[in-house]
Amino acid sequence: MDPIKAKALIEAVLFLHEEPVKLSQLGRVIPLPPEQIAKLLEELKAELNCPARGLRIFERAGGYQVGTRPDLAPYLEELFADDTTGKLSSAALETLAIIAYRQPIIRVEIESIRGVKCDHVLDNLLRRKLIRITGRKPGPGRPFIYRTTPEFLKYFGLPDLSSLPPLESPTYNKTEKEEVQNSEEPVERI
Amino acid sequence: MEQSGCTIRLPVFEGPFDLLFHLITRAEVDIWLVSIAEITDQYLDYLQSMRELNLDLASEFLVMAATLLRLKSKMLLPLPSREEEEEEELFAFSSPEELFSRLEEYRSFKAVAEQLKAKEADQQKIFLRSTSGKKVLVSDRRQQSYYTLWGGVQALQEIMQRHREQAAAISSAPYLPSEKYSLREKIGLVLRRLRHREGPVTFRALIAENGELIYTFIALLELVRRQKIALFQDRLFGTILIYAGRKREENGNGSNKSESAN
Repeated sequence: MDPIKAKALIEAVLFLHEEPVKLSQLGRVIPLPPEQIAKLLEELKAELNCPARGLRIFERAGGYQVGTRPDLAPYLEELFADDTTGKLSSAALETLAIIAYRQPIIRVEIESIRGVKCDHVLDNLLRRKLIRITGRKPGPGRPFIYRTTPEFLKYFGLPDLSSLPPLESPTYNKTEKEEVQNSEEPVERI
Repeated sequence: MEQSGCTIRLPVFEGPFDLLFHLITRAEVDIWLVSIAEITDQYLDYLQSMRELNLDLASEFLVMAATLLRLKSKMLLPLPSREEEEEEELFAFSSPEELFSRLEEYRSFKAVAEQLKAKEADQQKIFLRSTSGKKVLVSDRRQQSYYTLWGGVQALQEIMQRHREQAAAISSAPYLPSEKYSLREKIGLVLRRLRHREGPVTFRALIAENGELIYTFIALLELVRRQKIALFQDRLFGTILIYAGRKREENGNGSNKSESAN
């Protein structure tokens, strides 16, 4: 396919789809190798990155998505009401941070890090679909195992979990829990 | 602070770790150099002042206090090491080091939470395409809602003024009118009011016409429950718009957005 047309097609797909579009999805309509599609996407991104354009391409949750330029927000807010569910509380952010870095994780582990009971916060995060229950841990009580969701990546505009800000490495001794963690690696890439 | 209208805002702590961390930062010492005795005293002082201010103390704060005291007493009275009994508490530290390493761990997550908060703010500046009615075109915001503090105060004053007038009227009456309003009547009033109009009615207008704040409010809650009306508020503390039927329903639920991007 003619690269110019391919680029136009990419733009059209990004415009139509309301979720981040993955390279593989673009590959289904654009008969070009993925590297070339990625290159065209970068070009498109660069072309949009111009003062006279109101849209930008954002990398989030393993895909690409078109959104408005952040600095236009104050003007757009005049015209559009966005019923966002509001900002997360600091308790929710703390809990979410712990889950994001330590997943898979169970409630008592979160609580021991925060030093506070977390059931309400977890309910709230589940309701907002920022975390999910992926199973139960074998053993007494068979507690729920929590992980973050693709919605979490979208909410914070993260391409994937590896793009989370680095966790300042604490000076404490490594526990076995951490080793388990390290062997687990990228938990989900969607 | 003689003025009674002045309120003091205390920092809100997300649990005992947060408070301890705050105390340590305030003392400007490294986490590892804090003496357990000192921090215990400060912690207890703080809890005391919270109690004097009649603040509710979450149980975790008290458990932490007990834990700190135990650590402190342990250091004062070195006991021959005995098998620790099984503990299932929130804070099972056997040494100050353990406590401080946990504090440090907590601090690193707190730092990341701050960064996530910044990311959240950035993301909320990006508007995404959405056909599910998540964005609503606002016809004229300025007319519909009061954003400023003054606007809000004014509206409140109007309502309170009305209340005062009513209260005066009642107190000058020879006897108390019994059951001036009934919920059923109020519901009828609200529905009739909505039927007569095409567009939405603001909560403020409804109060201004009908008087009686509480019953109107309860009537609205009841109507929403029965799904006869829909309430819409474009932002926190914005004007509450009341719509007949469930026409606006699709705007009401942002959290149920699409499930996944698989």
